[in-house]
Amino acid sequence: FRFKESLAEELRGADLVISHAGAGSCLETLEEGKPLIVVVNEKLMNNHQLELAKQLHRDGHVLCCNCSALVETLQSMDLSTLKPFPPGQPEKFALFLDKVVGFQ
Amino acid sequence: TGGHTTEILRLLSCLSESYSPRHYIFADSDKMSEAKIRSFEQKRAETSSNSQFTLDRIPRSREVRQSWTSSVVTTLYSILYSLPLTYKLKPDLILCNGPGTCVPVCLSALLLGLLGIKRAIIVYVESICRVETLSLSGKILYYFADYFIVQWPDLKEKYPKSVYLGRIV
Repeated sequence: FRFKESLAEELRGADLVISHAGAGSCLETLEEGKPLIVVVNEKLMNNHQLELAKQLHRDGHVLCCNCSALVETLQSMDLSTLKPFPPGQPEKFALFLDKVVGFQ
Repeated sequence: TGGHTTEILRLLSCLSESYSPRHYIFADSDKMSEAKIRSFEQKRAETSSNSQFTLDRIPRSREVRQSWTSSVVTTLYSILYSLPLTYKLKPDLILCNGPGTCVPVCLSALLLGLLGIKRAIIVYVESICRVETLSLSGKILYYFADYFIVQWPDLKEKYPKSVYLGRIV
């Protein structure tokens, strides 16, 4: 499992995902529309990885907890409170770039 | 590297055929990006006739958490590599999104522009992971890029010269 190219297949078969705060893991999971609990590693507190996890939590897309609170979170969680995560829009980037370089 | 490659390929996904040829530059230590890029380009070739691309590796500018002084040395070394490469490619547009690898390439392009050899438009897109703070590459290139794009409103407030288009990956 170490460095599988994509976890898409596993994600599709899952009902709940518990993950570290890595951006790729979080975003892939949310894009598959799966409920996600992000477990934060306190020892890496200054890691910028937390920024995205915190924001996703603030926006109600994920549940967040630290390692010691995981069991409690699993017991008391209400997944229906999670909001769906709309996909990013690379079309907007394409439109912007076309204007920048002069392709209309 | 990794996440950066995934993000940049998503950025490229909606670009028209006019953005050709595409030259990908990545770190020599990167083992997975080449496969991702080839896979992307292969799919692209199925729908468009004009699919030219090249791949080039340059020495990695900086390891995660590498010290300041040694980072300057390794970045200078990367510039030694990227200058002739950028000169050879003479890009019209440079699109980058944050790995240390992009800094020497952009600096090389700036130099070529200053010398009147080739002026490239530099577009920098900060990673979606960056919500409140910029990456080191971002902090440097904020002052040098022609267009600096951020994906969260907090950053647009902190860096007023940046462009905010919402989440684009």
